[in-house]
Amino acid sequence: MKRIKEIYLMIGVLILVFTIGFANLDYYHNESALKADAVLEEPFDKMMAVLTHKRCVNCHPAGDTPLQGEDSHLHNFDVVRGEDDHGLAGYTCSTCHSNENNFYSGVPGAPHWAVAPREMAWEGKTRIEIAQQMMDPSRNGGRSHEDVMKHLTEHELVLWAWEPGVDDEGVPREKPPVSKEEYITAVKEWIASGAVIPAE
Amino acid sequence: MAKQKKVKKKGLKRRKFLKYSGAGIGLMLGGVWLARNPIRRKLFEVAETIIAPYQGNTSDPLMWMQVTPQNNIILHSSKVEMGQGSFTSLAQLVAEELEVEMDKIKVVHAETETGNTDGMGTGGSMSIATLWVPLRKLAATFREMLKLKAAEKMNLEPNALTLSNGVFSSGDQSMTFGEVVSGVEDWVIPDTPELKVRAQFKHIGQAIPRVDLHDKIVGAPIFGIDAEYPNMLHASVVRSRLIDAVMSNFDISEAENMPGVVKVIREDDFIGVVAQSHIEADNARRKIKVDYTPNQKWNLSDVKDKVTVGNGTKTVFQKEGKSVEDIDGEGEIMSLEFRSPIGAHAQMEPNGAVASYKDGKVEIKISTQTPQLTRDEVAKALGLAKENVNIIPTFLGGGFGRRLHTPNAVQAAKMSKIVGQPVKSFFDRKQEFQNDTFRPPTHHVMKAKISNDNKLLGLEHQFASGDTLFNSALDPGVASLVRADIGSIRGGSLIYDAIPNRSTYYHVDLPFATSFWRSLGLLANAFAIESFMDELALKTKQDPVQMRLNYIADKNPYGVRAKRVIEACAKKAGYTDELINGRAMGFASTIDSGSPCAHVAEVSIEEGEIKVHKVTVAFDCGIAVNPDQVKAQIEGCVCMGISASMFEKMNLKDNKLYPVNYGSYEMALMRNSPREIDIVLIEGANIPGPVGEPPLGPIGAAIGNAVRRLTGKRLTELPLSLT
Amino acid sequence: MKISFIVNGENRSVEVDGNTPLLWVIRDGLDLKGTKFGCGKAACGACTIHVDGQAVRSCSYPVKMAEGKAITTIEGLSKDGQLHPVQQAWKEEVVPQCGYCQPGFMMATAAMLDKIPNPTDEDIDDNIINVCRCATYYRMRKAIHRAAVLNSENS
Repeated sequence: MKRIKEIYLMIGVLILVFTIGFANLDYYHNESALKADAVLEEPFDKMMAVLTHKRCVNCHPAGDTPLQGEDSHLHNFDVVRGEDDHGLAGYTCSTCHSNENNFYSGVPGAPHWAVAPREMAWEGKTRIEIAQQMMDPSRNGGRSHEDVMKHLTEHELVLWAWEPGVDDEGVPREKPPVSKEEYITAVKEWIASGAVIPAE
Repeated sequence: MAKQKKVKKKGLKRRKFLKYSGAGIGLMLGGVWLARNPIRRKLFEVAETIIAPYQGNTSDPLMWMQVTPQNNIILHSSKVEMGQGSFTSLAQLVAEELEVEMDKIKVVHAETETGNTDGMGTGGSMSIATLWVPLRKLAATFREMLKLKAAEKMNLEPNALTLSNGVFSSGDQSMTFGEVVSGVEDWVIPDTPELKVRAQFKHIGQAIPRVDLHDKIVGAPIFGIDAEYPNMLHASVVRSRLIDAVMSNFDISEAENMPGVVKVIREDDFIGVVAQSHIEADNARRKIKVDYTPNQKWNLSDVKDKVTVGNGTKTVFQKEGKSVEDIDGEGEIMSLEFRSPIGAHAQMEPNGAVASYKDGKVEIKISTQTPQLTRDEVAKALGLAKENVNIIPTFLGGGFGRRLHTPNAVQAAKMSKIVGQPVKSFFDRKQEFQNDTFRPPTHHVMKAKISNDNKLLGLEHQFASGDTLFNSALDPGVASLVRADIGSIRGGSLIYDAIPNRSTYYHVDLPFATSFWRSLGLLANAFAIESFMDELALKTKQDPVQMRLNYIADKNPYGVRAKRVIEACAKKAGYTDELINGRAMGFASTIDSGSPCAHVAEVSIEEGEIKVHKVTVAFDCGIAVNPDQVKAQIEGCVCMGISASMFEKMNLKDNKLYPVNYGSYEMALMRNSPREIDIVLIEGANIPGPVGEPPLGPIGAAIGNAVRRLTGKRLTELPLSLT
Repeated sequence: MKISFIVNGENRSVEVDGNTPLLWVIRDGLDLKGTKFGCGKAACGACTIHVDGQAVRSCSYPVKMAEGKAITTIEGLSKDGQLHPVQQAWKEEVVPQCGYCQPGFMMATAAMLDKIPNPTDEDIDDNIINVCRCATYYRMRKAIHRAAVLNSENS
């Protein structure tokens, strides 16, 4: 009996290893480097590892100018959000950015390319502050948990982070440290289990 | 273009040097004194009294001017138009002596096969200065030729004819220029008549709108990159992305199979892809694999270490009195160091060429500042006689000294020869940044001896830089004769010659190409000298404007003109050391190529950033042939000077020069340009002097001097920054 | 891929790879050279055109997205031989020096004036972010104010 339990355990472990392995295959093919000391076990950790990555924070700036590049410098040419977060009269975001990445110019693109509204500024905030802001209907545009989940897992601008194209020298942009599939799973799990935000 | 007619030259003497008393100093000759080499010393002595002469044909009017059957004039200009307004002012000179209205003249770039080429090329702010007399004489001679021929055809005495806007008349007989030239094979070139005097000028001195204005408003295809030939292919060449590195193991296999590729060409000196379209050529070129092996590792700090006073070959080029350390008398020595960065040209139109090789001849349409040199280089590289190479210069989308050397012409010509079709080839923006011929970085040590009662007893400027001249137009033979780096020393000599002045230049070899950048060494030298003078004024408790006036000697040939400019500028700006409404003023003045210029910059600090609100400029270029265009050049110099002084710098890491694009290479934009630019034009000489570059000189120091008063901080490094 | 669109009021179509930047289709495919290549990276603005009245940097806009749209280039800014008020103002102030960047600036300015008919200096500073190496910005500012006046005189 003990022997069969051992076998079942071994099979269980193998299945676990296998599924985790497969789930991470996509990640291992990513260009991004998962920091060696990162501990990403919990769904919340995985989700926030993505949402605090520069691919996301660059367009959730604290000020009126989005951030740009791997070093998150202020977007060249002092472009600003304008009144509708889509730029100004003389240039809008779509003057340069279209709904897909541009290989020739290195300009990133996705549908609805724009800066996140001021209320969704994430730059300079801790992951806990971001999570709290994100889930609070009075600060997130009246969104319910379901709405937030849909936004985080389906919005083109969010999903762009895993296909961020190349820069103006043809160098691929760094992707978030968690694969898209794993991130989506983590978001859904976290929301489904009550969207509990830890203390830190 | 009418082919050159057989001429009998009569009475027209060729002059080698044109002497003007008190004239401006030519580009290469900075009124300096070289210690050791007697040849160099002689050249510079001679230089003090002349403008470098125009190095081309000044005896054959038919090489320059053509009359159309519609009775218009086509002026074939050997000087190119890169925005500096040469075409317009040259047309004014011709209009004056030919006695035609400006709208009758069309200016085109002279193709080299016309023979109308210029040995020096266009640069150094010399176009109008060097052609001031020769072109007017050519036009006057041409007018006389036309009059004599008209008289002959009309069977009248020449002095019975009156001339009005291209039409000769006498009684009820008349004949247009077009009718005069029709059918004429032989011309007699008469003695040149007297040129018009100042009081007679109708066109010179007028603010006539640019002759190329309409084309530039409607987007006419006038630039090199716009040029085409039927049946043309497109090309893209490989350029090194590292400095001081050997390129090897070229793998063109993938490139050859890319869509649209006609041929991948491997020559000794370049590799290029020829394809059906620009994008296809570019895409394929990026698939060429190259290995890079640096000869030596280079980072910016290595370059800075090298470009440091004390390193390299030393030349004392100004020696008026003792060195500061050797001056007698009680007092203290004050010293400050300054640095300026590697500067990119960043001109908007990339370099390239459109070449058509056929039957042992090649024609090239190209934006170049040196059509003659381009022709000679192509002829040599392809083993052709010069007559079989025709360069058709186009309007330049910016020059600034970038286009003095055009290997792109050789590349395009070779590719066209190999594929048997015309080829358009040009560099992309990353290649433009990484393979620029840069403005070299500099290091300066300024020294002064100050007496115990706050008098200046002596000034000294030591500075280090790298090549600006050697990689550009000049024949190596000439460069090594004159030695030193004439470009870098421009603006480097001190003008405060009531006291001992010394200037020493240290030349180092740099691991990347350098060349002229608008005003050459003036930008960096003026920043160091004029910032130091301002610091001295504060230290010795003198008004900075008055101090300049005190220490420019009356014996200085430009002294009177410079002082007038300084006073006019200070007066117009209402210069004060005091802060007004949170703004400070900064003063600086220079004499470049004989054209004195002074700036007062009005500056404040907003959210930690330097903001330039207003710049007052006083400028003396002698006669302003087109005052509006002189003002345009001043405005451009001020804003471009703000760009270079406050924003621009190239970086270097692991042999890679960067940034490689606009934006990341920070430049001044609309928001950084002053809302007010007040200009006072002074005519301190009765000839036109250099305009395009001299107004760049004072701006960096003027801003730095204002910042000094606002913050107490002396900024000693360009680009100026408070962080 | 065949792409059809309207350029300066005329129906045009091209047969080209759909990802080709519109800039090269305009310059080489349609032989309209007024729109310039300055960087190819949407940094300098020399390639600015209008797509359905909006300013677009054509070096970073694939031609496939132009399907069915109305494109205006500098050549189409003037109508029936009459200069556009922006061009007229540029002419009156004698703005261009080398001239290479000017079409892009005029297109960007025209787009801005459509939405901000009377811009302040600050509006101009914020909205006009193209690059001019000759640094003709000082005169451009004057010309933009002049264009605003000419526009209001016309309407």
